[in-house]
Amino acid sequence: MNSFWTVVGFTIRNKVKGKAFVITTLIIALVISIGINLPYIIEQFDKGDKATNVGYVQMAGEDNQSTGDSLKAFYEAQENPSIVMVPFEDQGDAAANESMLKKAIEDGEIKGYLEFGTELTDNGFPVMTYKSEKLMEFSMTESLQGSLILIRQANILKDAGLSNEQMAQLSAPIKIDTVQIYTGEGGNEGSGRTPQEQGVNMGVVYVMIIFLFMAIMTSGNMIASEITAEKSSRVMEILITSVSPLKQMFGKIFGMFVVVIIQVAFYIAVILGNASMPHNKGALGNLDIDLSLVDPLLIIYAVLFFFTGFFLFATLYAAVGSIVSRTEDLGQAVMPMTFISLAGFYIAIFSISTPDSMLVTVTSYIPLFSPFTMLLRLGLTEVAMWETLLSFGILLVSIYVSVYVSAKIYRTGVLMYGKRPSWKEIRKAMKAYKI
Amino acid sequence: MKPLVVENVTKQYADKTAVNNNSFEVGEGEIYGLLGANGAGKTTTMRMVLGLIFPDEGKILYNGKPYSNEQLSKLGYLPEERGLYPKVKVSDQIIYLSQLRGMSKGDADRNLKYWLEKFEVPEYYNKKVEELSKGNQQKIQFIAAVNHKPQIVIMDEAFSGLDPVNVELLKSTVKELRDSGTSILFSTHRMEHVEELCRNITILHRSNTVLKGSLKEIKKRFPRERVILGTDNAIGGIERIAGVTGVTRTEQGYDIQISMESAGAEILKLAMEQANVNHFEIKEPTLNEIFIRTVGDRHE
Repeated sequence: MNSFWTVVGFTIRNKVKGKAFVITTLIIALVISIGINLPYIIEQFDKGDKATNVGYVQMAGEDNQSTGDSLKAFYEAQENPSIVMVPFEDQGDAAANESMLKKAIEDGEIKGYLEFGTELTDNGFPVMTYKSEKLMEFSMTESLQGSLILIRQANILKDAGLSNEQMAQLSAPIKIDTVQIYTGEGGNEGSGRTPQEQGVNMGVVYVMIIFLFMAIMTSGNMIASEITAEKSSRVMEILITSVSPLKQMFGKIFGMFVVVIIQVAFYIAVILGNASMPHNKGALGNLDIDLSLVDPLLIIYAVLFFFTGFFLFATLYAAVGSIVSRTEDLGQAVMPMTFISLAGFYIAIFSISTPDSMLVTVTSYIPLFSPFTMLLRLGLTEVAMWETLLSFGILLVSIYVSVYVSAKIYRTGVLMYGKRPSWKEIRKAMKAYKI
Repeated sequence: MKPLVVENVTKQYADKTAVNNNSFEVGEGEIYGLLGANGAGKTTTMRMVLGLIFPDEGKILYNGKPYSNEQLSKLGYLPEERGLYPKVKVSDQIIYLSQLRGMSKGDADRNLKYWLEKFEVPEYYNKKVEELSKGNQQKIQFIAAVNHKPQIVIMDEAFSGLDPVNVELLKSTVKELRDSGTSILFSTHRMEHVEELCRNITILHRSNTVLKGSLKEIKKRFPRERVILGTDNAIGGIERIAGVTGVTRTEQGYDIQISMESAGAEILKLAMEQANVNHFEIKEPTLNEIFIRTVGDRHE
């Protein structure tokens, strides 16, 4: 047992002290920090031109004037208007008006201006042209169009003699609530989840799946490449004569697990640290996340599936790493493992809105996928206890098998050099060793 | 009870026999030479002793006990090729390897410092292995094999890649280890090292033991076939003596091949009749010659 911890300690120390590891961790932490602060940073630059000033000339002639003024009134009535209409005095002739407005743009007073034709068209408004220095001001014209449609609607409704209440009724939004229920035994009202709970659970599932995937990808590759490196530097021969291969393999896997946990904990700390900064409080509040709504059982399941999933993949990566004798060949050899973990990850991520699909149900019993997809089902649908136990049981059995086979392959593979051994050679050599 | 006993071990790979019915014993404070041409089965034998691979037949006993994890900590291994972490500091990995074999961290550190001092390279303590030259890496490799005070050390080509000064340094260290009671299984292609260090040897050829026993007896078994003669003047008629098969004139005299030892006396008598004899020697065959004859003979 003692030498097991020696291996664990050595693995952790070498990894954490390594320059490459420190640098990548810091870079990812930096990217996370920037990502979290991005809304705030954008806001800082965005503040000045939140509302666009649009000029118009209050020309004589009732229709023209009323269109501009009613737009102005419409935007002023809004809480956070995206456009502010700025009226200008009529200078008497079109050329003078034009030059006045252009000057206003130059001075930064307005971003552009709206010109009205003299005649009303069929749609009830005069011909309008929006003029600005920028090309492609579609969002601006769309916004103005939308506002004008609403203004027209209000005008017509008013003319039709509807009361204010009737008008309010017409514009009131219609809402449908969703509540998830459980139809099996013991299903009562309390077991249903509100949309908010569902949202939080979905968040937890999302985060756990991403963490599991990241942990598997980074540590899996690290485990495999470390073993291959030990093999190619022949230090393996000395290690195997010092400590039993099984201890060595699990020491390495466990050490790597601790490293990944340290890394993930560091990222979480970075996320929380950034999120709790005063300027980010508002943004998070908007997201409406209430962590107290998380089902504690889900967290337990998530942790269990995280551990088992990690362990299963780690042992297989160790086996792959021990077969390959040169680091150059490693990428090719771990490819199948990478694809499997990618497949599990994507099935889960793309099925997050359809957690009850046949694909998810079937894959939640297949060992290498189940850590991803069973977690999805547990978080977003009601799963009977026997289903959970069955999935978990299959996972545990497959871990046992994989540990046994991986340890054998490890014991055998680490002493095989030269070309990549064929399956036949591996099988034959495996028979020769006791673990 | 000898520390290491190898009894009739046989190892078969897919289609060929790597080691066939090999037996030997290494006593306490003994260096045992394992010789053979390339691919003769030396490394396979050593790996079996180390427990890296298991023999198909026969057994290996350590102090009378079969292989187990408990025996691991008593073994030290100096592999033929470098086996160290290139990117890890010397101190870190030597202490790690010693700890794996059951030594405490403090003891391992103390021993490491002792060895570095002994090899006159204390500054390597904080260096990474990849920063060292090949010869110096070999020193570190040597320390890795002996730092945990093993009872049995297996050395595969211990002196390869070293300059003559360092070969002497390591050789004297190996002798010290032997004198302190360590059993050493030793393989090399340098026969003069074997003659200097080993009491008993085994010569392997194509997986089989072709020659085995104490070095002295082995040498006696081979006839003395060479006479070195140093004289002032030329000697006439040596080639006519019965049993002389070849004569070569050298700067100092003659190098004479004989097929029977009695011819030696005849040569001396003849030489003394004709000139002053400065040097006369009937040479023992060197291990090099024995090796080439044993292994070479069976080559065809």
